[in-house]
Formats: sequence, structure tokens, C-alpha cells
Amino acid sequence: MTKRPQLIIPAVVLGVVLWVIAIVYWTQDAGSLPSFFPGHSAGSTHIHFKHGLAAAIVGLGCFVFAWFQTGGDRPDRPPTS
Amino acid sequence: MDPISYFQAIVLGLLQGVSELFPISSLGHSVVLPRILGWNIHQNDDYFLSFLVATHCATALVLLLFFIKDWARIVKGLGRSLRDRYIDPDDPYAKLGWLIVVGTIPAGLLGLLLEHPLRTLFASTQTAAIFLFVNGLMLFGAEALRRRAPVRSEESIRSDEVIARELGFRESLGIGAAQALALIPGLSRSGASMGGGLLAGLSNEEAARFAFLLATPIIGAAGLLKLPELLGSQGDHVRGQALVGAVCAGITAYLSVRFLLRFFETNRLTPFAIYCCAVGAVLSVAFALA
Repeated sequence: MTKRPQLIIPAVVLGVVLWVIAIVYWTQDAGSLPSFFPGHSAGSTHIHFKHGLAAAIVGLGCFVFAWFQTGGDRPDRPPTS
Repeated sequence: MDPISYFQAIVLGLLQGVSELFPISSLGHSVVLPRILGWNIHQNDDYFLSFLVATHCATALVLLLFFIKDWARIVKGLGRSLRDRYIDPDDPYAKLGWLIVVGTIPAGLLGLLLEHPLRTLFASTQTAAIFLFVNGLMLFGAEALRRRAPVRSEESIRSDEVIARELGFRESLGIGAAQALALIPGLSRSGASMGGGLLAGLSNEEAARFAFLLATPIIGAAGLLKLPELLGSQGDHVRGQALVGAVCAGITAYLSVRFLLRFFETNRLTPFAIYCCAVGAVLSVAFALA
């Protein structure tokens, strides 16, 4: 897999943003969500737990991607028997 | 009166364990069977969804236990790659683990966001029968469009290693996204992922193995996510039936996975394609005339 270290910071920033979005979904009901959020519904008390979970999963994926980009090329290893 | 009888729970549990792993759509069967038998059970009923949670959890548990040695190797492989921050091409279990992760994410996301709207949109038995027919065509298509059946020169090579070698992350992403088709009653998750595996160059046996590995986290997560509904007030009056259904589903899921892995050593998806086309066509006409 080709390493792209220039993507580390954007991936981390995106991951943090997605986790913030996830927390907003988990803590705010649909009526209190910002109007540009998918699932916003004026007056609704429904909590969009699944929307938050989706954002959290993608955010976690961004962190894992960034983690792999911080590694060097193929590490030296002792030969396996 | 209980919304589901114990007899119905046994029948639906046995059916769920088989149809979840056979490429014939469990959701499609659980929609059309109650109508054929004249049962007053509908797929969007809260109590029926709670019942299905238990059968899904049982199926996922059986799959996990059936491939427990593979999962142990996969988890260790994932750990090694995270430690090294590198996915070693010579480490098949690390590669296989990340293939499963990459394949699970699109199905999981689509499931989280589209499960409810699709379930509501395609709730009718008529639609399920039509999509069952389409599922048969999809299986025929996968067999017709597959690359030439691979011939393995090394008989001793493990299927997991072949899967890791043959599949790329892009293919795994596509197979994972195809799994989301199962949100539509009548289309099969395992059929879509087996078909995707064939198109990517796997043999039938390897495609089935990868489909079962890929199905485990997604079925398990879907079950766990809805477990509170079964344990809450929505599960009142169906918990006993759900437990019985789960045991039945677990038994048939175990027998199904054993049978299918042997079946696909020498056979293809064609018999399931014929079954889905035939049953889908007959039921579509019958429901339209009824």
C-alpha cells in the first residue's frame, strides 16, 4: 500500500469532525439539530442514534487510515521459520 | 394471545438459519412464508422485528464459532498490522482482516442509514416475490460473468490465503456494498457477496467462505444494535418464542454452513438461481392473482 503522509493531518481533522458530529447526533434530539444536518426535523424529540453511529464509524476509519500513513515502508522483520 | 406461536417460532427459526446463509434471501422468505401459510405476521410488525433480532444473533454466533480459528488468526493479523502500521502482503490473515473491515463498512453504513426506509418501501409480499426472481437472475449473472473457474496448482494452500491473495481492497469494498442489497426483501446478502467473489476471481468455495466471514460482523452488529428492542417492552410476549426461534436458527445455520462449504467444493450457484427464479415467478403470479 502506497504511503501518503500528506494525508495524515486531513484524515485526523476529518476524523475529529466526524466524531463531533456523532456526539451531536447522540446528544441532541432531531428538533435541536442544526438545520443542515440530515435528520433535522423541527419539533421532533427523536434521537438519531444510527446517524451518529455511522459518523463515528467513518471517523474511526479516518483515524485508522491516518495511523497506517504514519508508518514507514515495509518494516524490517526477522525471517519467519 | 401471543403474536407469534411457538410452532410459528420454530418454523421461522429453522427457515431463518437456512435462508440467511443459503443465497436465497432470508428477509424475502420471512416476508412471503407467513402469507403463503396464512399467518398474520408482517415484516414491519415491532414484535416480528424483535423476534428476528434473536435469530440474527444466533446465526452470527454460530458463524463466529464455526470459523473461530480463522477469526483468532484474523484478529492477530489485524493486531500485527496495526503494530507495524503496515499490511504485509506476506501476512494473509492481516490482509484478510482488513478486507473484511473494508467490506463491512459500506454494508454497515448503508444498513444504518437505509434499513428503515427500504424496509418500509419494499414491505409487500408481491415486491419480495419479484425481487426473489431478480435474485435468481443475479446469481445466474454472477456465474455467467465470472472469470474462468480458477485452477489451484497447490492443493494444500489454505482458502484464506487464496482469498487474501486474489482479492484487493477495491473488490472487497464492492462486495461489501453489494451486501447492502439484502436490505431489500428478496435479494440475498450471501448471494450478492458470493457473486461478487466469483466476479473477482475466487472459486465457489472461496467465495462462500469469504461471504460467511464477511457476514459474521454485519449480522452480529445488526442483531446487537436491535437487542435492546427485544429486551425492552417491544419484546414483551415474544421473548420465549424468540429464544426457541434462535435455537432453531442456530441449529440450521450450523448445518447450512457445513453443507454449503462442502457443496461449493464441486458445485455452483446455479441450483439456487433456478430455485429463486422458479419460486419468485410462481409467487409473483400467485400474489398478483390473489
